[in-house]
Amino acid sequence: MTCSDVDRILPDIIDGASMDGNATSADQDFELQSHLSTCPDCSELVSDLRLIAGEARQLSDTDEPAPRVWVRIATQLRAEGLIRDPELPGLRTVVATPPRRQWRARWLAPVAILALAAGSLLLHQKTTSPVTPQIAKQPLVQQPETPVALPETQVAQQPASPSNKAVAPTPRSSQTAPEQAEISPPAGIDDQQFLSEVSSRAPSMRAAYETQLQAVNNEIRETQAYIRQYPGDMDARQHLMEVYQQKAMLYQMALDRIQ
Amino acid sequence: MVSNPSQAEDLAQEAFLQLFRKIGTFRGESAFSTWLHRMTVNVVLMQLRKKGLPVVSLEETLESDEEAPRKEFGANDVKLSGSVDRLQLQRAINRLPPGYKTVFVLHDVEGFEHNEIAQLVGCSIGNSKSQLHKARLKLRDYLKFMRAEKAKTG
Repeated sequence: MTCSDVDRILPDIIDGASMDGNATSADQDFELQSHLSTCPDCSELVSDLRLIAGEARQLSDTDEPAPRVWVRIATQLRAEGLIRDPELPGLRTVVATPPRRQWRARWLAPVAILALAAGSLLLHQKTTSPVTPQIAKQPLVQQPETPVALPETQVAQQPASPSNKAVAPTPRSSQTAPEQAEISPPAGIDDQQFLSEVSSRAPSMRAAYETQLQAVNNEIRETQAYIRQYPGDMDARQHLMEVYQQKAMLYQMALDRIQ
Repeated sequence: MVSNPSQAEDLAQEAFLQLFRKIGTFRGESAFSTWLHRMTVNVVLMQLRKKGLPVVSLEETLESDEEAPRKEFGANDVKLSGSVDRLQLQRAINRLPPGYKTVFVLHDVEGFEHNEIAQLVGCSIGNSKSQLHKARLKLRDYLKFMRAEKAKTG
């Protein structure tokens, strides 16, 4: 049995009838075991894929939804008449609607929209422009190292203006390979300013948003590092765009909830 | 199956609402948990389709014997060595393209068989197997990369 043979039957090896990976026939199993005992690469590959498949089963979600989910379900079911509240005689409830707050930091809304637009535009450019071998050799982000850590380190000095080159439409014919290879984050988004606004308007929500922002920024950093090492990985680039969009959605969610 | 916790909450809400609306259609032909599980998966898949995301990668049209990504791609000097950090695995899964992710989550996380996955997502069994295999290979690359990065930063 050769390494190519192992590659070919690999799905069956991993998804064999049981986790011990019995192959389909005794002869094939003997050949497989013989090969694995002499080929460290194949042996490691089989072991890794079994490990991943096995660990994945532990991820089956056991998290409870947040309490607000149950509240929203109950509200919707009442609205549809599928459940009713028990009547309590002699008691009237008046639901006080809090006054709508005007959030002065309205800049977050257009910034969030800009970030989404930037993501869509760059994705469109990526999918409509052919990828040439030169692109694969170009580093993804042709900027100094520091700005790659955007947006959490970027620069508070930069105004939240739409002058970001990621947003500016570029005629397709004038795009060069380095431009096509770049994926720049939205400029002018200052995380600290965002969290300061959340703190001042809804202090109880700051911790939650800070945690989510940290997670998104970590993901951005790591994906950027991955893309720098493997610039040809289109899936990673797609994922990076999605994470930028997630960050924009996080800002938008904050705006919606605090207003 | 989705990366966004807020979206997951919305979909959980929708799944429970569907349960209330359709509880009268449960005929008892399968376990209730199986029926609810399938309904939930359908809610998620409908949402993915609404967003225009390919539920199964559109470039995948061949059978499972199509050439899989080279196993050499990745940080070969780093080994998984028989252990995987669960948080890293979750993050790596979130990075998968939608088609790979859907099949991987349905099969390896939730335990659906390929014939069930094929029915749920509307693809062939061979397609499902191929997507799963590629997803696992991709995850291996991501996990090795994460481990290498972690070793660099200490």
